Amino acid sequence: MIFNIFKKELKETLRDKRTLIMMLVIPILIFPLILNVVVGVSSSFEESAENKTLKIGILGETDDYLALKLNEIPNALGPKTLIPYHGDSLKMKADLKEEKLDIVFIYDSKFSEKLDKMEPTKLICSFDKTKIGYDQRAQKYVQYIETEERLKRYQALNIDEQQITPFEIAFENSASNQKMIGELLGGFLPYIFIAFGFMGCMYPAIDLFTGEKERGTIETLLTTPVSRWKFLIGKMLVIILSGLLASCFALLGLFFSINLMDIIPDPEIMNVVNQILSVGFVLKLFLLLLPLTVFFAGIMIPIAVYTKTFKEAQSIIAPLNILVLLPAMAGLFPGIELNVQTAMIPILNIVLTTKGLIGGTIDYSLLILSFSVMVVLAGIAVAVSFKQFGKETNILS
Amino acid sequence: MIKVEHLTKQFSLNKEQKKEAGTTDKFAFAVNNISFDCKPGEIFSLLGPNGAGKTTTLRMLSTVITPTSGSIIMGGINAVTHPNEARRKIGFLTGSTGLYTRLNAHELIDYFASLYGVSNQMLIERKKYLFDLLDMNEFAHKRIGKLSTGMKQKVSICRTMIHDPEIVIFDEPTSGLDVITAESIIQLIRDCKSQNKTVIFSSHIMGEVDLLCDSLAIIHKGQMKYQGSMQKFREKMSEKSITAEFIKTVQA
Repeated sequence: MIFNIFKKELKETLRDKRTLIMMLVIPILIFPLILNVVVGVSSSFEESAENKTLKIGILGETDDYLALKLNEIPNALGPKTLIPYHGDSLKMKADLKEEKLDIVFIYDSKFSEKLDKMEPTKLICSFDKTKIGYDQRAQKYVQYIETEERLKRYQALNIDEQQITPFEIAFENSASNQKMIGELLGGFLPYIFIAFGFMGCMYPAIDLFTGEKERGTIETLLTTPVSRWKFLIGKMLVIILSGLLASCFALLGLFFSINLMDIIPDPEIMNVVNQILSVGFVLKLFLLLLPLTVFFAGIMIPIAVYTKTFKEAQSIIAPLNILVLLPAMAGLFPGIELNVQTAMIPILNIVLTTKGLIGGTIDYSLLILSFSVMVVLAGIAVAVSFKQFGKETNILS
Repeated sequence: MIKVEHLTKQFSLNKEQKKEAGTTDKFAFAVNNISFDCKPGEIFSLLGPNGAGKTTTLRMLSTVITPTSGSIIMGGINAVTHPNEARRKIGFLTGSTGLYTRLNAHELIDYFASLYGVSNQMLIERKKYLFDLLDMNEFAHKRIGKLSTGMKQKVSICRTMIHDPEIVIFDEPTSGLDVITAESIIQLIRDCKSQNKTVIFSSHIMGEVDLLCDSLAIIHKGQMKYQGSMQKFREKMSEKSITAEFIKTVQA
C-alpha cells in the first residue's frame, strides 16, 4: 500500500513544474553556470591584465638610469610606457590616485651614483593593489632590474654566486593533495548538498501536505481504509527522494563542470579530485545525507500539515533554510574539527564528517556517532510529523 | 444500515474562537448527543442551517474525525473502534471535494481502487460500468485539471462508487454546482437507493430534500430538532411550504 501511495505521489510530484525546477533544473545547471561565469570572467580579466600596456611614472627623466633599465625589460614581461615627471613627485602621486598612471617609481636623485658606488639606495614602487595583475607586473620589473644589478656587483667583486649562498631553502607541504582539497573545499561540498537537499524537500513537502488541504483532497483520502501512517510514510518517501535527487543532480552538475570546463589545469590535482568523487565516496556521502534528508522532511511536514495555504507554508519553511545553513557554514571555517562535541551538533556534524571523508582524515568512530545522532533526530522528526498528521485540527481546515 | 447513538463532538476553543463566540468556555459542542438510524434502500437527509453540525456529523460517520462520545454502527461494524473496516463500506462525496488535477481520470480511479483494496478484475468491471454510465470515456485520459466542472464531478462520483460501497455519504453534494451537474448527483442518489444502498445526505436546499428523501433529521447548533419520516413531516406541517416549516422547526 505504501508503495502505491509513493508511486502516485511521485507521479504527481514529477508533473509539478515548481518541484521539477527546484529538484532537477536548478541543481544540475547551477554549477555549470556559476563556474562558467567565474572561470570565463576571471580568465578574461587575467588575459586583459597581462596584455594591458601599463603607464609607468618615472620621477626623473627618460634618460635616468632606472628609466633606461625599465626600457630594457622585454615586452614579454608585459608592455609599458614610461612617463617622466621631472622631479614633480606630488603631481605624479596625484596622477596615480586619479588613475592616470598605473605604477610609479620614486627614487633618490643620486640613485645611479649610489648603485655605481655599490651603496644601498631606496626604490619605491607604488601602485593600486586592488587592480588585477599590477602586483605581479611590478614585482617582475623590479626583480628583473635587481637581479641584473646584483649579478653586476658579484662580477665586479669577483664573487661566485654559489659561494655566498649558504643553503637553498625549500618549504615542502607534508599534507597530501587530498588533505589540502579536503581542508580547503571539503566543507563546501556538503554545504551545497545541504542547501539543495533542503530546497529539494521544500516544494514536495508543501505540495503533498498543505496542497492536499488547499485543494480539498485530504478529506476523501482519509475516508479510505488506509492508516494515516501509511500516507505519511508514502508521502515522506517522495519528499526524501526529491531532496536526495536535488543533491544528486547538484553533484552531477559539479562533476560535469569540473570535467568538461577544464577549471583545474593541474592534472595531478584533477586526478585527486576524480579519486575523491569516486563511487565509494558518493555512496558514503549519500548514506550520511539520508538521515539528514529524513530530518529535513521531518521538520517540514509538521509545518506543512499545520499551515492552511501554500503561501503560509512557504513563508515559514523558506526562512528555516537560513537556520539550516548556519551550522553548515560553521563547518566551512578552518579550525573547526569533528570531535565528540561537534558530532552532536546536527548538520555541522555532517559537514565535518564529509570534510574528513574528502580529506581522508575521518575518524570512523566519530562518523558513526554523527550518523547515529542524525538517525535519532530523524526518528524524532518522523514521530513529530506522525503526531501532527494525526491531529484532526491540523488536517481539516 | 447506519445506527448512531448519543453522538457528541466537542472542540476546544482558542482565544480567537472564544472572542468570536463571546464565551469564556474552554470547549464548544459541534454535535451534542444526537441519535438516528438510516436503513438500506432509504434516503436519509440531515438538514440544518450553516454551522448546525451537519458536516461534523458526516465527518464522524465517514471516520475522518473521532467522536468525543457516542457510537456509530455502519453495516454492523463499530466505526469508532474499527474505522478502517467501516471505511471499506463507505463512499464519501462532498460538494467541495477536490481532485488530483495532475492525474487523469484513469490514474485517479486506479489509485482510489488500490486504496480500497479493489481487485484487478473488479476494477476493470466497475470502471467500465461507471465510465459508460457517466459517459466518461471521452475525457478519461485527459488531466483532471483541464476538465470542466461537470466532468470533474463525474470523476468524483466514479471515485466515490468505484468500490461499490454499501453506505454512501453525501455532504452538500450539489453545493455550488450548476443545474445540469447537480442533476447527475440527484440521479446518483436515486440509483443508490434503487441498488438498496444506505444513503445519507446533508443539504439546506429543501427542494432537493422534498424530492429525494424518505426520512430526515433536522439539527441546529449541534442538537436534534426533529427526526422522522418525510411523510410524517409533511403531515404535521403547519406552514405552507416545507422551507417555512423547516425554519419554524429550527427556530423553535
